[in-house]
Amino acid sequence: MAAWINGNAADTDAAVDAAATLLATARTPVFAGLSAELAAIRAAYRLADRIGASLDPAAGDGLYAELATIAAGGALTTTAPETLGRADTVLVIGNRPWAGDLVAEVAGSKPVRGRAAGEERSVLSLGGPANGASRHVAYGIGNASLDVAIGHLRAFVRGNLAAEEAFGELAKRLAAAKFGVVIYDAGEIGEAGTEMLLGLLKDLAETTRFFALPLADPFQGRAVTQLSAWTTGQAPRVGFGRHMPEHDPWRFDSARQVAAGEADAALWLASLPSPRPSWLGSLPAIAIVGEGSADARPETAEIVITVGVPGASAGGSVWNERRGVIGYVEATGHAVADTAAGVIAGITKNIEKKGASC
Amino acid sequence: MSILTLRSEPVERIDLLNITPLALSKLSEAEAGKLPVGTSRRGLTLGDVFAIKLDGSDSLVFEGGSARLDRVGAALSEGSIRVEGDVGQRLGDGMAGGSLTVTGSAGPFAGTGATGGTITIEGDAGDNAGGAVYAAKAGLDGATLIVRGSAGDGLGDRMRRGIIFVEKAGARAGQRMIAGTIVAGSVGDEPGYGMRRGTIVAGSHGTLLPTFAETGTPDLVFLRLLARSLAHLGAGHAELLKGTMRRYSGDLATIGKGELFTPAG
Repeated sequence: MAAWINGNAADTDAAVDAAATLLATARTPVFAGLSAELAAIRAAYRLADRIGASLDPAAGDGLYAELATIAAGGALTTTAPETLGRADTVLVIGNRPWAGDLVAEVAGSKPVRGRAAGEERSVLSLGGPANGASRHVAYGIGNASLDVAIGHLRAFVRGNLAAEEAFGELAKRLAAAKFGVVIYDAGEIGEAGTEMLLGLLKDLAETTRFFALPLADPFQGRAVTQLSAWTTGQAPRVGFGRHMPEHDPWRFDSARQVAAGEADAALWLASLPSPRPSWLGSLPAIAIVGEGSADARPETAEIVITVGVPGASAGGSVWNERRGVIGYVEATGHAVADTAAGVIAGITKNIEKKGASC
Repeated sequence: MSILTLRSEPVERIDLLNITPLALSKLSEAEAGKLPVGTSRRGLTLGDVFAIKLDGSDSLVFEGGSARLDRVGAALSEGSIRVEGDVGQRLGDGMAGGSLTVTGSAGPFAGTGATGGTITIEGDAGDNAGGAVYAAKAGLDGATLIVRGSAGDGLGDRMRRGIIFVEKAGARAGQRMIAGTIVAGSVGDEPGYGMRRGTIVAGSHGTLLPTFAETGTPDLVFLRLLARSLAHLGAGHAELLKGTMRRYSGDLATIGKGELFTPAG
């Protein structure tokens, strides 16, 4: 365990006390990152409620590309196990899905249950790598963006465009599916593209079964979304300045708040790996980071406190992408004494002791 | 004419929902000064942010503006509001009637959900002017939105009714439009992405989507009627409509009942 205040080594209690002083005197504090185990995220929401801070997860933009679309029009979704078990046609959009191992597993197996059981599986890609390691048929998009290409494909699926070109053939393949799935990352295709894609799936569902399998972000955004929903009734970007949780994705965008000079203190929570905000050094800030991480150093912020890393040096509940749920992971190595949740609870207790007028 | 004079640049975002001539007409200046408008734990009131002078009329002027003044004219149903300066997000949010004028520039989502009245921005508008906010079914919903300067990207995103009149718009103007009319001196790339119905008239445009199909240069009575109805809004590019216009139909990715008109010459 290590902690630093203004670049100087300190013990954790002193750093917690300094963090409490900083937050108690702030007018508009922001909490960013939230890439951490569930207990720490919960503690962050409680502390934000106590002092009137706003919260913004590292996964914010990608998360809202999906949330905004679902909130406006709903979605037909499925899970990875259902895809592996039932899908005879899988369309992979963009590059991000190829970074994990799901596509390779999909390409290397056949449906084993449902209407397509025992048949070969077609793996198709739109705007992804032409020569991936997995067996698939690639459809290029030229210079078009992914969302424009999805719209173009949808026009063929709806029958509003017809020609002997690649998208015409792809549309026929999709329409012929018995159980189809589209794998994509909402952050990569954007909000408008996600809405267009979900509309495409609804069009296909008029005559067959076609579902969305959106990939989770790697920064615990889905866990934050669930916790925020059961804690505040809102999606993650909420502020407690007026003694109630207010949801506003634009107002509580932490990068915007800092750039506009509205925030006067920040707490960056990243016990799990997360990209450090470029603005972190521009205002008084507290960084709660994983022990041994690249950001566990005195220059990261005015106050830096290192904590256990869930699944490595601490246990904790985190998002399980494969199962699509929050699950507990044990510490695999030597467990450290301080957890992110404990540190944030300590800051909260200290602020209460100081009697901040919150 | 009631006057709210900005004391200084606000230290936090200010929420002016319900600060309308009608609401203030029932209050004394002391009572109005106690209305909460701050968004932090400091509990700022209207009197902390503005010097207040009320006369009970249906006309309200903000002397001094700021990009931190949110929801100016939200819920306005009658009378007029004039802001001498800039405003923040959601200008005229849900406005039902009356007149709202900003002499400076506006933040994002100006006119969102506005069902009636006229909103005029003498300067520039941010992104998503006339567009829908998170989870809302529609953006502009019947009001008239006039932007004398430039508007950002996503102008009229998911708008359902009403007219937007703008000098210059950014990319994706008319994105996901449900219905309504946008008239612009120019629009950026990919206008009308995902639009279902509605009309976009643009003096010039950026890259068109592959899902818009040219349908010729029809001589439509509708365009001449539109030009006549827009003439009183005082913008020169309504004249565009009197010339020959090329029509594109789209977005064919959706039901494709929208249309984009641009000069044929």
